[in-house]
Amino acid sequence: MTASELQPVRTDDGLASQGARQTSRATLLAFVVPAVAIFVLFTLYPVLRTIWNSTQTLGPMGNGTFVGLQNFEEILFRDKTFWKAVSNTAIFTIVGTIADVAGGLLLALCLYAGAPMSRTLRVIWFTPVLMSYVVVGIIWTWLYDYDWGLINHILRWIGLGALEQSWLGDPNTALWAVLVTHLWKWLGFNMIICLAALSALPKEVLGAAELDACGWWAKLVYVITPMLWPTLLNLTVLSFIGKMMMFDLVWIMTGGGPLWATETVSTYVYKRAFNWNTFNLGYPSAIAVLWSGMIIAFVLLMMRLFRQRERLEF
Amino acid sequence: MAALAERHPGLAAWFGYIRRIPWLAFLLLYTIVTGGPFVWVALMSLRTTNEILDAPYALPSPAHWGKFAEAWTASKYGVYFWNSLIVVGCAVVLLTLIGAMAAHALARFQFRGRKALRLAILSGMMVPPQLLILSLFQILLQFGLYNTLAGLVLAYVATQLAMTIYILEGFFAQLPQDLFDAARMDGYSDFEIFWKITLPIGMPAIATTVVLNFIILWNEFLFAIVLLTDDDKRTLPLGIMHFMGAHQLDIGMIATGLMISIAPIIVLYACFSEIMIKGMTAGAVR
Amino acid sequence: MAVVKLEALSKRYGGNAEASVRSMTLTIADGEFMVLLGPSGCGKSTALRMIAGLEPISSGTVAIDGRVVNAVPAKDRDIAMVFQSYALYPHMTVRQNLAFGLKRRRMPAAEIEKRVASAADRLGLGPYLDRKPHALSGGQRQRVALGRAIVRSPKVFLFDEPLSNLDAALRVTTRNELIKQQHDLGTTTIYVTHDQVEAMTMGDRICIMNRGEVVQIGRPLDVYRAPADTFVARFLGSPPMNLMSGVLRRNGADHAVEVAGAVLPVTGFEAGLLAPFADRPITVGIRPEDIYESGAQPGCSAPAAVSARVAAVEPLGAETLLVLSLAGQAEECVARVGRVSAHSHGDAATLYLDAATLHLFDPQTGRALPRAAG
Repeated sequence: MTASELQPVRTDDGLASQGARQTSRATLLAFVVPAVAIFVLFTLYPVLRTIWNSTQTLGPMGNGTFVGLQNFEEILFRDKTFWKAVSNTAIFTIVGTIADVAGGLLLALCLYAGAPMSRTLRVIWFTPVLMSYVVVGIIWTWLYDYDWGLINHILRWIGLGALEQSWLGDPNTALWAVLVTHLWKWLGFNMIICLAALSALPKEVLGAAELDACGWWAKLVYVITPMLWPTLLNLTVLSFIGKMMMFDLVWIMTGGGPLWATETVSTYVYKRAFNWNTFNLGYPSAIAVLWSGMIIAFVLLMMRLFRQRERLEF
Repeated sequence: MAALAERHPGLAAWFGYIRRIPWLAFLLLYTIVTGGPFVWVALMSLRTTNEILDAPYALPSPAHWGKFAEAWTASKYGVYFWNSLIVVGCAVVLLTLIGAMAAHALARFQFRGRKALRLAILSGMMVPPQLLILSLFQILLQFGLYNTLAGLVLAYVATQLAMTIYILEGFFAQLPQDLFDAARMDGYSDFEIFWKITLPIGMPAIATTVVLNFIILWNEFLFAIVLLTDDDKRTLPLGIMHFMGAHQLDIGMIATGLMISIAPIIVLYACFSEIMIKGMTAGAVR
Repeated sequence: MAVVKLEALSKRYGGNAEASVRSMTLTIADGEFMVLLGPSGCGKSTALRMIAGLEPISSGTVAIDGRVVNAVPAKDRDIAMVFQSYALYPHMTVRQNLAFGLKRRRMPAAEIEKRVASAADRLGLGPYLDRKPHALSGGQRQRVALGRAIVRSPKVFLFDEPLSNLDAALRVTTRNELIKQQHDLGTTTIYVTHDQVEAMTMGDRICIMNRGEVVQIGRPLDVYRAPADTFVARFLGSPPMNLMSGVLRRNGADHAVEVAGAVLPVTGFEAGLLAPFADRPITVGIRPEDIYESGAQPGCSAPAAVSARVAAVEPLGAETLLVLSLAGQAEECVARVGRVSAHSHGDAATLYLDAATLHLFDPQTGRALPRAAG
């Protein structure tokens, strides 16, 4: 049974159902109060408190002193580690998002083109999405291992032993190694979404493109991609948010090392809050506020840009 | 991709055949890349660390099934597993109930401030976890809920509630109002209608959110690592990380632990793959 | 068994200046089948929902058996309703659907079973009792919806366009079935529809509504023969009544209308009513079946010849519709003539209006000038 099977009602008078949708205040409260309470106590209040904390120097027992915008000043103008983390996160985000969406579309096209056993392949390809970062991180740490990891194994086996690396131990490769792992985990997700959008494309349009003598490449570029545009933009925003907040995988695989090579803003926040001896929740709160503001601003900006673009195209 | 042409026999078929070989090779390769690591871990989970270090990519002979019992008790994976099950179970039940009630109210009732309430609750989806976690740590500390499973459950409910309501409300709003009018004429109260009409009919959407919440929370790491410190309270992801930290080189045992954490998901996925795929992607499609 | 009495019933929505139901007064007798008929948006469904208790009443009263039920919640009014979408509970079997309303009323299980069995028997639903709604055809679902109302043996049945989701053939059989059931049960029934055929065939009386107001109440044929205004005249009947603009002329003691170049004697109206319209425009109505191809046809008691151009011929088998352009008329006229017509497209033709069946309407208000009794 699906919602679409239950036919929507055409009421005789447009407003007819309104009256029936009223209920007593008590009933209404009973329905919404639990959710509202959770929202206020464990979402709204913590967010406001974090923002307040960001203007404090905050000791372990909650003994704070107000320092105004001093934390932000410190972060923006003197904290080199923060900027290193920002640049790492930016690489993760830009490269990762593009690779994520493009890769997902590519995989979806592979299946859409009529792969044998495509249902089974789809299920297998999606498996990493269901796994925790801990599982994925540990497995890939092993695969990257210098001595017995599969990557170096294969390199030696095909005679490229010169290329073998301590993938996660070398500051030059660690960031990319983590990024590849992240992609591996999430490609299946983007693939499924693209596949769903592809299957929803009207077959007539593809047929029409064929009559217009489009080859597969032309069809992909001029017909399929533009029609999938809304889906791709949606995925871009989702992937962007995920990468901007990247924490788990980095923490598990490298802890931000070596030499800050994989430090992200989120791991840095965590370290400043809970790992450094300088227990001061104010400073990491300020980073979190700054960074969240950045994320939200970027997302709003993207949505705005994309919407404008859509308006131009249609 | 080359074989996009295959779908449309109008394009020269032989041309497609030549392109087909690299394409099929790619399909096979990517399947091995995604599925292989799990097979590898499964194999390692049945081998001892020494065997693995001798030959990392070999079949278990003999298979040491006893490792699972050892991991479950001696390495405390059993404790971690139950902690995970309790936390995730409670959080999912609470989320479903609270989320469905709020979604029902938003979808079925007209009231002043409905739009504002909806916007407020759904804005919860936009909140980055870093913005929550630091002060949530303080708040739970104040309430005496820090380092308790109950505190973690509350944090989980808070983080997943917006998404749950979003998915459920979308579905509930499509149910025809006539059904609810009929139930009202049949003499049922608003609560009975929720229980006997909305919940049973909303089952497809509820299943979706249960799957989504279960997987996300079963895998959750950040909140758990911040809000729990006792070894006896650790959830599976934390437990494995902890074990990994203490016994970095005991690869065989870590692999067994990984299998214990993967197994429930794999078993569920094998049985309900379509539902799980739909569930995991539910928030992104609309 | 019950009498339902609506007194100045009104519904006004918050922001809306215009009421969707305005001062509706109507009494439905015990056991009567009353049809509320009107175009969509006329307020008939809102009225029904106010009677059901699903919609708060803005002003006025609803009384059942003399008891005002404005403040009584829907479930306690002892009313059953059949919805347009049937509103069958999709997660319950037919049996559970039928029993759902009874269970809530703390009826003993044996009694519930008896009633469900008897309703199922009555409607021929026996073989489907353990199926879920999605495994039923449209007609079967409709019968389950009806059964759900019947098992409750309520004082009043309410129907909200219950046949509009059925295909044409099924609609006819279900209509007859419904009439039969209502007749056997003798339960007071209020039936909302926008379909005039349903209204004509089913109702003991029909109540025609337009823009939230009751326009006319009466037995179907009475309303058909004497529509109260141009709205009813156009709404009831298919093809609808032809409305033409004419001029009323006084001719000694008698009156006549000039319309489309013909002069038709006006008989059967009180002279006093006609007097104010003398030498002034008046709206003339004539039903398509009152236009004849020949003045000698049986039934045509007062033929008046009129010249027309045939704009289209629509042979329907049992009858033929002629679409006519008449001199000086903005709108085309439709005539319903015999199985075969001598005319073809583009012909200039002479047709005969039966002057004894003319309807006259005030062109300003649209109200009908009533014919003198007898």
